[in-house]
Amino acid sequence: MTSVGYLVAALFLPLFPMSMLFNRLLARFPRVRSRMGLFLLWPQPGVLMLAILGERPPAWMLWWAAATSVLYALRGVAVRDLSLWTGYMATSAWALLWPAAAFGAFTEGGAALAWQALGLSAPFLLLAWLAGRLESELGAAYAGMCGGLAQTLPRLSGLLVLGVLAAVGTPPVPGFFTLLATTIHALPASAGIALVIVTVWLLWAWSGARILQGFVVGSACADSESGFGSDLGVTAARLLGLAFAALVLAGIGISGEMT
Amino acid sequence: MEGLVAVVFLLPLAAGIATYLAAPALKRDSVRISIVGMVATCAIAALLLGSALAGKPVGEVRLGASWGVLLFDPLSALMAFVVSAISLIVHVYSIRYMAEEPGYPRFFVLLDLMTAALLLMVSAGDLITLLIAWHLIGVLLYFLLGHDMTSRSAHRYAAWTLLTYRFGDLPLLLAAGLLYHAFGTWSLPDIFSHLDSVPDTRTLFGLPLADTAAALVGLAAFARSAQFLLHTWLPYTMSGPTPVSALMHAGIVNAGGFLINRFAPLFVTTHGVLHWIFFVGLVTAVIGSVLMLAQNDIKKALGYSTMGQMGFMIMECGVGAFSLAVYHLFAHGLFKGTLFLGAGGVISEARKDDGVPKDDLYTFVIERRPARRRQPWLLMAAVTLAVPAIILVLAHWLVANDLFQKQGAVILLFFGWVTGAQLIFSTYRMRTENTWRLMGMILFSFTIVVVGYTLISHAFDVFLYPDPAFRDRIYGAAGIDILWFDVLVILMTLVVVFGWLAAYYAEQNGRHGETRFDALWRGFYRLVARELFVASLYARFSAALVGIATRLNVLLRWS
Repeated sequence: MTSVGYLVAALFLPLFPMSMLFNRLLARFPRVRSRMGLFLLWPQPGVLMLAILGERPPAWMLWWAAATSVLYALRGVAVRDLSLWTGYMATSAWALLWPAAAFGAFTEGGAALAWQALGLSAPFLLLAWLAGRLESELGAAYAGMCGGLAQTLPRLSGLLVLGVLAAVGTPPVPGFFTLLATTIHALPASAGIALVIVTVWLLWAWSGARILQGFVVGSACADSESGFGSDLGVTAARLLGLAFAALVLAGIGISGEMT
Repeated sequence: MEGLVAVVFLLPLAAGIATYLAAPALKRDSVRISIVGMVATCAIAALLLGSALAGKPVGEVRLGASWGVLLFDPLSALMAFVVSAISLIVHVYSIRYMAEEPGYPRFFVLLDLMTAALLLMVSAGDLITLLIAWHLIGVLLYFLLGHDMTSRSAHRYAAWTLLTYRFGDLPLLLAAGLLYHAFGTWSLPDIFSHLDSVPDTRTLFGLPLADTAAALVGLAAFARSAQFLLHTWLPYTMSGPTPVSALMHAGIVNAGGFLINRFAPLFVTTHGVLHWIFFVGLVTAVIGSVLMLAQNDIKKALGYSTMGQMGFMIMECGVGAFSLAVYHLFAHGLFKGTLFLGAGGVISEARKDDGVPKDDLYTFVIERRPARRRQPWLLMAAVTLAVPAIILVLAHWLVANDLFQKQGAVILLFFGWVTGAQLIFSTYRMRTENTWRLMGMILFSFTIVVVGYTLISHAFDVFLYPDPAFRDRIYGAAGIDILWFDVLVILMTLVVVFGWLAAYYAEQNGRHGETRFDALWRGFYRLVARELFVASLYARFSAALVGIATRLNVLLRWS
């Protein structure tokens, strides 16, 4: 039962190579809403299974999770497609829920871990939506294909910047506090895993900067000047901005549990 | 009064948000909100500094239950004033300088947020708040440096900065983790109090907690203050707007010195960490200065000049002169900020008139025409070596008569002596009608600088660390065995004097044809001109990592 439980958890809090299934599935989902649903729900069965198992995962599984997280963080550096990048980042982030569950001082019972998973997933919902929007406006959400979006689609670019910042664990979003707590609690038990987590964090920053540069920086491409692609409406941008503010407040809220 | 510490951080934050919200309606006029907010912030920071100078006791404000503690102490009051004053100057300067740039209100919003993050950093009273502020500064600097959204090169180098800063965030995070686990609190005053009572606490792998945490804090400071091997971002970030360069060189890059001062109670319990902080600072100061001399790009030269200055600042921390490092960052902030903000006007004026007076100094430095008649060299050598030493010792004796008990003070005196002697050595051959008058003027200036520097740095020392016993403990933590210290001082003196004699001998005898050192010298120059290949190595390393990532993606079929 335990082995099967861990296998199920390893599928939904994806460990390599099971993680390939999630990314394949994501690539096959054509609709934005279904992708967003996938980001929202995928890690929750894994969290539930860890709660049911009710024991600290073995050390080798934690190292497996850490290695998966590094693998996808590194692979994200070379990715130019926003949907694919979002999938890799989600895989890398969710894998870190294993050490969060094992070392976190505030994860008893599974509810806190479920909230953390939700906090980590929230930026990916926004990014999935933005990727869909870019695909419909530009034909593809591919970094470098048509840069300079800051000039042609400023509101969309602003949200993309916020989404990427949240995805790479910038304070004070929930992801920052989850990573901070996981690193700090992992440190006395397994300094090696703590070091891997901070390395992953560094790789996220690098890949985030690369993906942003591919989209928002540069001269506006010739096609966009001829009129294709329309920016977000003011109301939609404000609503999404408010959602981001709520995410920040949730981050500050989640931080209260850290001590 | 403590509540004002929170106000001083919240004001620029609120001004930034208000400017952003008002921008669609008010357009460019929305930046007035930012300016008014900054004036108010600076006024309140001045009030805080005034009350700290008046001797108001240390206090704190709690914005949250487990974190969000803001400290009111001499260091936070002084730094808050420095940050807000520099930020106000940059704000005012930017009103006209950035007027033609797209994203005008966005620039001011980012400036406000950066000011808020810096003020949060200097007043952070717990590790989580400090980590948040430390992290946010890197992110905001990335967007400020990359303000021109059309410039790929600006963003490329802004990303270098971001990565170096993130690299520096991580050791601070690990240090925070170790301290939290040892004492079960995030509060900095509580942690320092625990450290004072149990300085020999052990941490991971049986390592001494104080030394391990201090080394990690030092590493975080190195990344932020562009110490050697973590410096490449600094000379390359000149593509950003000039006001950002001014803010960065005058304020942000000094954060390393601030961090070491904030953790002073940690450093006094260490054994040897300050020595390698001194070493890193020394290497950075030397390499930064050498690289600056070899650059033909004025902006890069300014970048390396800042690197050299940061090396000196960290070196001062390494010898235990913590408050001197704060004075240094203050003074460097003022002169480097003035240089950057004045650069545009100077260039514009220089196009009309170079403004260089064709006087004795010009003929000596530019035309390299030394005086034909020289004074007796033995007399000049005696003046060169003895006078700066006498002035320095007398000036320091004014403020502390136990001067030679503090190794850090002796090292700083040594540097002062070398600098003063070098000044006299290089100018005594200037073409002038009255050599002794010139020498008198030089010595007079030198005396004013030394006495001013000594008195002001002593005032900083007394203000920041009022407890004399604590000041002695800082110098004690930076000290080494007295025998080794004396040997090193004598050795360094011999090296310097030998260098002077060699330079004098070379000038007296001239050069005849190719010498065996020429090839070596040319090789060294090539190495320095290419900035020791450090940036190239990093670029290759990152390209290799991207290559590996791409191959992995292809191998795993992008899933």
